[in-house]
This record gives sequence, structure tokens and C-alpha cells, in this order.
Amino acid sequence: MPSGGIPILRIGHTLLATIQLDLHDTVVDAFQSDVLEEMERTGADGLIIDISALESVDSYVARMLSNTGKMAKLMGAETVIVGMRPAVAATLVRMGYFMTGIRTALSLEEGLEIQASRSKDGRRSEIP
Amino acid sequence: MELGIQPDYMKILKLDDEECRRRLEFFELTPDDFQRLTSLRAFAERWTQEITEGLYELLMKHPESRSFFPDEATLARVKRLQNAYFLHLFSGTYDLAYVRDRLRVGSAHERIGMPPKLYLGAYRRYLALIHEKLRNHFKGNETEAVKAIETIRKIIFFDMAIAIDTYIAAYLETMTRHQAAIRELSTPVIKVYDRILLLPIVGTVDTQRANQIMETVLVQVVEQQAKVIIIDIAGVPVVDTKVADHILQTTAAVQLLGAQTVLTGISAAVARTVVQLGVELTRVETRAKLSEGIEVALSIIGKKISSRKNADAESED
Repeated sequence: MPSGGIPILRIGHTLLATIQLDLHDTVVDAFQSDVLEEMERTGADGLIIDISALESVDSYVARMLSNTGKMAKLMGAETVIVGMRPAVAATLVRMGYFMTGIRTALSLEEGLEIQASRSKDGRRSEIP
Repeated sequence: MELGIQPDYMKILKLDDEECRRRLEFFELTPDDFQRLTSLRAFAERWTQEITEGLYELLMKHPESRSFFPDEATLARVKRLQNAYFLHLFSGTYDLAYVRDRLRVGSAHERIGMPPKLYLGAYRRYLALIHEKLRNHFKGNETEAVKAIETIRKIIFFDMAIAIDTYIAAYLETMTRHQAAIRELSTPVIKVYDRILLLPIVGTVDTQRANQIMETVLVQVVEQQAKVIIIDIAGVPVVDTKVADHILQTTAAVQLLGAQTVLTGISAAVARTVVQLGVELTRVETRAKLSEGIEVALSIIGKKISSRKNADAESED
């Protein structure tokens, strides 16, 4: 049972986590382990993290997000971060966080499309 | 840029109780002065008409200042205001409400476009007229006359300072507005096709403009849910490490949003300098011509420009 307070839903082979509040460090850690455990439990091969509600992201959260992506990758799943706000993107880039290796999409809908096309074409994991 | 809405100069000039007190102190306006001004109220009421007439005699003598009072009605109205202004000098309370009233007077002069030279020049005559009346008023009591003149000078300079501050604030306001307009014009984001945006950059790119470009690009990408943004730098005269760095940052930020950047308008000279400077632009999709960039963008969203040869050939048959 997730303990971080961030609901993690399963849609087919994809997990969807929607982050609704600004993240505190403790929530962040709990979220990371929740996601990975849920992935292990369900055998999902895709992860979508919706951060459209986040108005700001600090370096800790940024690192956690990209690390979660890397960890998911080790477990064979592709992560797509969706809905990043312009101000958040600008801040991350200025802090030097380019989040290379993580896929992004403008909206949840597109994130789902990416995951769907992946499972259709098999494991296609290159970044366009 | 709404019309009719005046900027809040009280706020812009940070005129609060504390600032009001500091100003009074700097102009050495003391309770003594306030008392003296109050005691001169009868004098003011007696002479205000004549002093106003004297002031407008100067203003109407010169074509430049006369042009601000096109008709009799206007003239009568401003004279009435001038009398009210004069009597207000002797009200005895010089608080924030007084300052607000003075500020209104100042901004009214600025709004009708009365240049400070005329404003200050007229004030000179105004002071002279008041002095003359005061001398007559205190005939035989030179000390009191000098004291009264000094007090009046203080309060009038206090007023003038507020008016001049308003002038400057108004000019700055206009300038800021123009700068904002120029900035807006300098980053026009054009929708080329569904989900494809184009930003042509013309002119030099400094840090401020680069930030502005990044902000506009990111906001527009999200707002229009664009998949691709084409940045055309054919109009940028010099592409140095700094400019390249700004472009790379914007590209990275666009990628974080889930969209892509195509950089076009790379001339031979730019290509040479970029490589010679050791700038790594390989992470960005680049093309020499905008038309090629549009083709790349279309292919990203799964479209393609094809010739109509076949269709034409069929119709010719």
C-alpha cells in the first residue's frame, strides 16, 4: 500500500502518478519507493509522472525525478514526465538540470500515447 | 496600456507617512512654519485673485504657454483651480492628503504636456508676486516679512519637488511601457502549422533578451501545445558562445516540456564560428534554411510536403 500519499494508478502496463502538491523531501523519498515497489508488484513497463500541478521544483526533487526514471529503466520500464510548467523548465535548465535520458511530453494524453506506441512496437526506448 | 487609468504615483514615488515626514524635515518645515501659514490665511484670501491674475498675465504673454489655455472657459477653470491651490497652501495641515493633492496637480501638468521649464518659470513669477504682496502686508515689520517669505518659499519648494518627481515618474512610466512593447515585438511567435511554432530572432541577443525569448517560447509551447518550435537565427548578426549557450538552454527547456526545437538560419559564417569557438550544437536539430526546418518540423509531427505532380498529370490527361 503506498505510503507517500501520492496515488499511483495502473492503466494497462503503465503506472500513472499524479503529483498534486509541492513536494517535501520526506514525501519525495516515500514516493520513489512506492513507485518502484508498485512497479515490481504489477510488472508494469511504463511510468508516467504528471507534474502539471507543480509550480516549482528544487534541485532535490529534480534529482529524485530523474533518479526515479533511471531506477525504473533498470527495471525495464520507460518513464515519461508530463505537463511540466514553463517556469519549472526554465528553472531546471538554469540550475543545469537537463534531465537527459528522461522522456517528456506536453500532456498526459501524449504521455499515454508514447507509452501505448512503445508497447505496440515492442521495447522502443530511444529518445527522439 | 489602458487609457484613462492613471498610474498610482503615490505608490511609485513611495509616498507614505514616513516619506512625507522626511520630506517636510528636509525642507525644514517646522510647526512654526505651519502656524505662520495658518495665520496668513486672511492674507491669502485677500490677495489670491490678484496673484493668480499676475501669474496668468505671464502665461498668456508667451505663445508657448498661452497654447495650453485655448479658450476663456479653460482659462476661467484653471484660474479657479489656481486660487484653490493657493488657499490650500495656508490650510495648516501638511500630511499625506496634502501630498496627494499636490501630486494630482503635478500629474495634471504632466498630462497636458506642460514642459517643466514653463512650470518652473511660472512658479518664479508666482513667488515674486507673493513676495511683493507679503512685503506690503508686513509694511514696517521687515523681520516678519522675511520670515513669512521664507516659510512660503519652503512650502512652495516642497510642492515643486513633488511635481518634478511626478514628471520624472511619468516619463519613466512611459519609457517602461515602450520597452515592454519593444520586447513584445522582438519575440513574435508565429504558428506555422498545427503544433508547429516559429520564432524568428532579429538583432542582437543579450542576456535580458535571451531570458525573454526563453520565457516566451516556453509559455507559447505549453499554451499552444506545440510539438516543435523552429528558432530562426538568420537575423542574428553575431552568434558567439553566449548566444549559442542561450539557444542551448532554451532547447533543453523546450525538451523538458515535451517538445522539440529546430534551429534554422545557420549561415556559413555562423557554422564556421560556432565550430571554431568549440560550441557543441549537435544536440539540436539544425538546418541552413527555414524551409528545411519546416520540413523537419513537419516530419516530427508525422506530416510531409509532397508535390502535386501526380495529381496535375492526372488532370492534364
